[in-house]
Amino acid sequence: MAAEESTSDQLGRSTALRIQHLKGRLFEVALVAATLVGIVSLLALFAQISSDAFQPGSASATWFLVYLGTLVAPTAAFTLYARRRPAVRETNALAFAAVFGGLLFSFVIYAVVDALSPYDVFTYVFFASLPPALVVAYDRMTDDRTYTGPAIPASMIVGISVAALLYDLIRGPIGIAAEWIMYFGLVTVPAALLIGALTASRRGRRSGVIAGGVVVIGGLAVAVASIVTGTNASFLVVFFSAFVVPTGYVLWRSVRTDPEGRTGVAGPFILLGGALLGAVIVGRFGIQNPDTFLTPTLLLDSWDGLTASEAGVYPQIVGSIVIVGFMAVLAFPVGIGAAIYLEEYAPDTGLRGRLATLLEVNISNLAGVPSVVYGLLGLALFRRTLGFGTGIVFSAAGTLGLLILPIVIVSTQEALRSVPDSLRQGSYGMGASRWQTLREVVLPEAIPGTLTGTILALARAIGETAPLVIIAVATTKYSPPSGLFSSATALPLQIFAASANAKPEFRHGVVPAAAVVLLILMLLMNATAIVIRNKYGREN
Amino acid sequence: MSESDTSPKIQTTIETGDEESKRDPLNVRDTIIEALDLDVYYGDEQALDGVSMEILEHEVTALIGPSGCGKSTFLRCINRMNDMIDVCRIEGGVEFAGKNVYADEVDPVALRRKIGIVFQKPNPFPKSIRENVAYGLKIQGYDGDIDARVEESLKRAALWDEVKDQLDSSGLDLSGGQQQRLCIARAIAPDPEIILMDEPTSALDPVAASKIEDLIDELVEDYTVIIVTHNMQQAARISDKTAVFLTGGELVEYDDTNKIFENPDDDRVEDYITGKFG
Repeated sequence: MAAEESTSDQLGRSTALRIQHLKGRLFEVALVAATLVGIVSLLALFAQISSDAFQPGSASATWFLVYLGTLVAPTAAFTLYARRRPAVRETNALAFAAVFGGLLFSFVIYAVVDALSPYDVFTYVFFASLPPALVVAYDRMTDDRTYTGPAIPASMIVGISVAALLYDLIRGPIGIAAEWIMYFGLVTVPAALLIGALTASRRGRRSGVIAGGVVVIGGLAVAVASIVTGTNASFLVVFFSAFVVPTGYVLWRSVRTDPEGRTGVAGPFILLGGALLGAVIVGRFGIQNPDTFLTPTLLLDSWDGLTASEAGVYPQIVGSIVIVGFMAVLAFPVGIGAAIYLEEYAPDTGLRGRLATLLEVNISNLAGVPSVVYGLLGLALFRRTLGFGTGIVFSAAGTLGLLILPIVIVSTQEALRSVPDSLRQGSYGMGASRWQTLREVVLPEAIPGTLTGTILALARAIGETAPLVIIAVATTKYSPPSGLFSSATALPLQIFAASANAKPEFRHGVVPAAAVVLLILMLLMNATAIVIRNKYGREN
Repeated sequence: MSESDTSPKIQTTIETGDEESKRDPLNVRDTIIEALDLDVYYGDEQALDGVSMEILEHEVTALIGPSGCGKSTFLRCINRMNDMIDVCRIEGGVEFAGKNVYADEVDPVALRRKIGIVFQKPNPFPKSIRENVAYGLKIQGYDGDIDARVEESLKRAALWDEVKDQLDSSGLDLSGGQQQRLCIARAIAPDPEIILMDEPTSALDPVAASKIEDLIDELVEDYTVIIVTHNMQQAARISDKTAVFLTGGELVEYDDTNKIFENPDDDRVEDYITGKFG
């Protein structure tokens, strides 16, 4: 009895077990080290770039104290306050998204439409939206919804084609109207319709019409006021309709419906107000600002290759946005369509099944092809074969579109694959057709994954330089692109070109500052992806 | 159950059924499904071997047998859910109200609107409870009062009292048993004629399972229920007729449930039921 180990003795730590535990610990330490190496080196890189761009060393100590008092301290206090209140935190996140999203949205809309000519954009948007609107109206009137669905995209294409054919005829009469009326039609009318529809779904038709009317009248009032005072009516109309109205609506809704978290609405205003107050105090008392390169000049002026303080990248920013936006229009329908076919329609067996498998294997490989090679493809396709001009928006967008196409296809396929088969079975079992199953069950489930994948593809595209160099996109341009067939430049290209500038203040100031702008653009896109994913994730 | 069978609520059948359904004296039921020498192959593997059987309307027919015996395959042949499997090949026929469902002019989508199905694992759509139940109505273009049908279906599925205050919350927030009753409500909302159930209680706890069994008892007044089950007590409790499939996809015996459980003709059936095999 005494010689034998009892069960309770066996519960202790043997040498073998100790070695096992040690191995586990060592592995864990190695993993932590790997994580830290990655994060720390990235942080060091960002710190270096933003320090070069911002030049914090040149500011006086008072400057830091002022902003510490007006910006950092109140924001920190508010964060602490919100930390223990989930409702406040949630409203705060929403308010941040609404305020900064709205600001960004209105600036981007104005910059892009202004570059492409508001009259042209209005003409095309009007002709693209009128036919589908008529189709929908017809649909409502007849109660027969069987055949109108496919007519909506078809009528949109017809409308755009008509606008392109009759361009010379239409453009003249439209050109008589004041510029702000174009923006009114482009932004205020949709905003009014949106607010009207949202209100109508909650409070009935009458309130919806009133809410929409208020937005329209507000837009007109803003336009009249700015004409009287002699300010830029176009910009103020956009600012009102794309920022004040939607952001105000979101904030007002959360104050009204969420008494527990309503203080969270203050978050973005504490930040904005703090920055503004800081700037006023600094200006008033003549405190030494840092010699930053991240100035309004950089964001709003055009390029100057001689004086660093005069160099701006506005045409480059707008060019990047226009190229990437048009690329999305080209690549997303094709990519998502291909993914849906391969995942939902293509059979597993037979000739078509083998063809689909072959395609899928090739698409996965294409996702890894170096971007320079896509540049060569773009050059051959758009310049040589189609004979387009050198370095125009269309070629750049098309080339980048080909580049991200495999990424879009693969990520959409992943999203579709993650929809459980039991849902498809359930839908078919109810007597739904394949199209109904796809539209009602599969696609709504796959939207968050698809959107995340595609927006990440956008973020990849906005930073691409090599393919643009190959298709001979200009590195420096002094005005934003004026149309889809006008030449354009992109922000990463300008950074690439300026990094070879002989003057050190370009290489060590303007380049990092422009890089920060590019990073912010990219981060904003990723943030949008996350917001969309979370929104849909919560609804399900 | 025998008193309550004579007047099915809806008398829509595919084309020819009407003549027969009118001569419907008490306790003599019509054949609604008839399998005619049905063979099913998955690739080279045979899943059903010459199955012939008649299923009567307004009865609960249980299909039992060991795993892989082809009973689920048979169930899915009735509303052509097997069409979705590329390698599946079917010979012979299944007649629904006198019409071969594999005939060229039968659209499987139309067929499934007459023959609903409830699966083993509850699979409500990630939509609200209301939208789940209204799904079949929506896709079929039903233009009556959808809310009334939703309420009626939930009541019939014995779920109304539990969910009437949360119709707009997600169907996925319900417990497993509630989800399965939601799936049943979803299946009966468009008013099919037959409800197929593929082991509807095997993923549920005993209390939830017994609720579903009670529900089946009530549903058979208006519908024909064909249920696959692994649980022999369940088959004995709820079914009028029982079909026993054995390995190889062969229908070994098909008769009144009492007969099958008390005095089966085939020794293999007796062995299976008493647990000596399977």
